[in-house]
Amino acid sequence: MSRAQKRAVRKVVVLLLFLIICFFFLAPYLWMVLISLKPKVDIYDPGKLLFVPTLENYRSIIEDAHILEYFKNSMLVSAVSTVLSLVIGSIAAYGFARFNWKDRENMAFMVLSQRMLPAMAIVIPYFLMAMFAGWLDTRKILVICYMLFNVPFTILMMRGFFEDIPLEIEEAGKIDGCSGWQVLKELIIPLSLPGLTATAIFCLINSWNEFVFANFLTSVKAKTVPTSVMLFLSVSGTKWGEMAATGVLASLPVIVFGIAVQKYMIRGLTFGAVKG
Amino acid sequence: MIKRYFKKKPYMTYIAPAMALMTVLTLFPTIFLWLISMTNYQLGWDLGRVKFVGLDNYIRLVSGRDPDFWNAVYISLKFMVITTAAEMIFGFLIGKLLCDSESRMKPIVFAVLIIPIVMTPSIAGNIWKLMLNAEYGIVNYFLAVLHLPRVTWLDADMAFTSVVLADIWQWTPFVALISYAGVCSLPTDQYEAARIDGGNAFQLFRYITLPSLRPLIFLAMIFRTIDSLKIYDMPFVLTQGGPGNSTEFLSLHIYRLANAQNGLIGRAAANAIILMMISSAVSKVLTYFQRKEM
Repeated sequence: MSRAQKRAVRKVVVLLLFLIICFFFLAPYLWMVLISLKPKVDIYDPGKLLFVPTLENYRSIIEDAHILEYFKNSMLVSAVSTVLSLVIGSIAAYGFARFNWKDRENMAFMVLSQRMLPAMAIVIPYFLMAMFAGWLDTRKILVICYMLFNVPFTILMMRGFFEDIPLEIEEAGKIDGCSGWQVLKELIIPLSLPGLTATAIFCLINSWNEFVFANFLTSVKAKTVPTSVMLFLSVSGTKWGEMAATGVLASLPVIVFGIAVQKYMIRGLTFGAVKG
Repeated sequence: MIKRYFKKKPYMTYIAPAMALMTVLTLFPTIFLWLISMTNYQLGWDLGRVKFVGLDNYIRLVSGRDPDFWNAVYISLKFMVITTAAEMIFGFLIGKLLCDSESRMKPIVFAVLIIPIVMTPSIAGNIWKLMLNAEYGIVNYFLAVLHLPRVTWLDADMAFTSVVLADIWQWTPFVALISYAGVCSLPTDQYEAARIDGGNAFQLFRYITLPSLRPLIFLAMIFRTIDSLKIYDMPFVLTQGGPGNSTEFLSLHIYRLANAQNGLIGRAAANAIILMMISSAVSKVLTYFQRKEM
């Protein structure tokens, strides 16, 4: 085989592999979209790809299952916990990025080790404390719990973004008479706005998808979207159409967000450890 | 005095609020968890009945009076090893493939890879449950079309494999993206030099790629082992720990003990402490190897 032929074969093989990869990772999502549009009877006939699409499942979850209540809970909890974490976490991140002290890396490692904490273990004391405080099934307890992972995440992510900003800019600001806090507020924050946005989006995604705390600490009033899929399990079988419709609505925002922060995906997934 | 302290340690002004918050949010609950784990507390009891039982709950676990616990430890560790290994291998291969290729499909592949990562695990679990359904699932439908035998995916023999499959689906892209970043940032001159010296493909991989990617590989491995060790949402919706206890991972075992029906909070807390200790031991070992120069 000549060189050109070899290259052509290689190209086709790679293309095929890409198609297989895309198919494998995309299929469950596409299947969910398809099921959400299928009339009830056709769901039990997987081979039937030609059907009259219906929005009945969506109507049903919004009108009968009041799914929008859970969306409201999810949005409020995610947003509030993200904003609080960004404020507290970014300030600490600035300390980590711009000062040097003996135990700095050990402290940073301690922050990272929060990520390793199993939620199922820590939720038990939270459950008891919430019970005694009468906070079970409230949104505020979820906001607090979600800060458990959002604050350390923000610290490590924003530390990386702050370190990317050249020190000279800061020194110039100081020469112009800015105090430390002013430098942070007037110079650093505006300059790291893309990083801040990406961090916020990751916090939102993680809070939106959180399941352990939501499942353990809420039951009716503060129920969030991920736990609401359990509603569609009943003795008469799962309401697959409704479940899929909820899934489509719930995953749409995170997928849009996820693709929007694609550039920072590796950084976000490794808690800022890899600046991909 | 406080003023002087902050003057001496200026970083404290910035990090103190976050550190204080994290101490309150994790240290106190952890201490509380230790305390609970040494009591016989059950849900719904008034506090007068609560007794300090020392290490009783732990002795119960270790002595085998709670056989479900050992099963949970065993399948959690098995799950951790299998999924991490599979995800590392497939993820690395995909990352390498993406890096070597100049195909115009690359942006599409990246976008597709992000979908499993960001998708809500409990929802993904439900979709897998539908797809793996023995009677009307699409997977068995495909198998039938290909004249292959149908598989009852969610019965006692296959449930564990199904959870593994779903986990591989969700987290291989994570390793793929990290490996992509790593492989693509490797300097090419080392390879050229080695090739001139007559190194073959395996040697190049073994002596150049692997050592330079070591920290990154370990990092991906740390995240994957820890996350698969504490997995909860995916099996919770896919199998509810069943059939029997074939997919009752540690997190699910804790949940079963602690939830409203059983309410054995004291015993669940002891389990939770064990889970914490296993995951911190695993992460310590891996971090040690990640930092060690070789």
